[in-house]
Amino acid sequence: MIEQEIIRMTNEVFTESFEIPGDKLTPEANIFNDLGLDSLDIVDLVVALQKKFKVTIRDDERVRTIRTLGDIYNFIQLIKTEGKQ
Amino acid sequence: MRRVVITGLGAITPLGNSVEEFISGLERQECATEFIPEWQNYKGLRCLVGAPVRMQDEKLIPRQNRRSMGRLSIFAVQAAQQALSDARIFPEELSSIGLGCVIGSTMGSAESIAEAFETILPDNDLAKLTSTKFFQCVSHTAALNVAQYLGIIGVVMSTNAACASALQAIGAGYNFIRMGEQDVMVCGGAEGLHPTVVGSFDVLFAASSSYNQSPKKTPRPFDAKRDGLVCGEGSGIVVLEDYERAKKRKAKIYAEIIGYSTHGNGSHVSESNREAITLCVKEALQKAVVAPQDVDYINAHATATIQGDKEEAAAIRQIFGDTVPVSSLKGNIGHTLGASGSIELIASLIMMEKGVIYPTLNLEEPDKDCQGIRHITKPLNKEINILLKNCFAFGGINAALVCKKEDY
Repeated sequence: MIEQEIIRMTNEVFTESFEIPGDKLTPEANIFNDLGLDSLDIVDLVVALQKKFKVTIRDDERVRTIRTLGDIYNFIQLIKTEGKQ
Repeated sequence: MRRVVITGLGAITPLGNSVEEFISGLERQECATEFIPEWQNYKGLRCLVGAPVRMQDEKLIPRQNRRSMGRLSIFAVQAAQQALSDARIFPEELSSIGLGCVIGSTMGSAESIAEAFETILPDNDLAKLTSTKFFQCVSHTAALNVAQYLGIIGVVMSTNAACASALQAIGAGYNFIRMGEQDVMVCGGAEGLHPTVVGSFDVLFAASSSYNQSPKKTPRPFDAKRDGLVCGEGSGIVVLEDYERAKKRKAKIYAEIIGYSTHGNGSHVSESNREAITLCVKEALQKAVVAPQDVDYINAHATATIQGDKEEAAAIRQIFGDTVPVSSLKGNIGHTLGASGSIELIASLIMMEKGVIYPTLNLEEPDKDCQGIRHITKPLNKEINILLKNCFAFGGINAALVCKKEDY
């Protein structure tokens, strides 16, 4: 179960940094094909997520496997959990 | 050599975000200077007045184009779109190897540069920078963004000579067409207002600081009570075109460029001097095959600094005496620095079209050092067949452009 706060804060990154309307932000949405991000945006996405969640993910190989918004929710939840252990 | 004409104009200015709004503000003799309270947060900044643009419609530029644009690039893109539309050059014509752009600015977006340092320096952490900040900060940001957004594949170049940037851009575009290397050039300058830019003049005692409580009274080009420049912002873009091409497609021709000159003064980084200005203006006139008495109007650089106005007035006095009308538009829009050459040229071309000279606002009593030239202090109806535009930059870089009415 993903924390609602993680979903809310991740969606905020997409509306604030990428000007994507809230109604497009579903867990299944592909961040490239559905939300229109490109390679430069991925750099900015990482910067924005690091700032929003106060985590360090830039050199985490798992970032490369992210495809959907749901993948980001899960990844952030995982990082947060790992950080607590 | 091919002949080069100006067929399109676009402007984002402190008096309005189109050529029409800009000219309307000049006709109403408005001053765009205002007190900017937030600048009080900067220690050591004495000048608290500026001439800002009210940015509009920036979100009409798609985010993935806009993300690499700082404030000045947004102005440049908007002005370029206006100019191309005015020239009736359509989007499908832009991606031709014969169409290029030269657009200058003093530097990259000052606002973006400040943001970049504010991001990096607290923790010395470069990982916090976004991917497109670099493209906002680079010196050629205006040219690259205009070219990318419009799909320009011809020459793409930037001139970065502070306050001479825009006129050098137009001069470079003029030469590319004259030499037959390009057919159409989108040229001009852009600048963004930021306290760090104002500070660069303030530290040299070249920025106005006595009129913070009465901002509409400054800047005061050539006036005895002038106390320095007021920074403005915006963009002016002109479309230059091969004369034969323009005639063939029956384009509206604002003017023909007939002379251009740019020189270094070789003497001082911040003090302009009359000899270097005289050399530059005389050479532009010689190239244009125009005698001084044939010039109908001089649009002066005159920023309202003590030193610069005095030297420009001396050069004009020496070359033209007191017969040729002179005015500066800095009293209306402040000093738009890297954009000033093109924004003020655009106003001058409209003056040529309308047969009227807009006066130097805030010039009430010409300083004794600035006398002996024909100052225009009220609107003057006069046919303008040949005009001269001056620009002089920190770093000792001067530029002068001579334009002629098409049918003259």
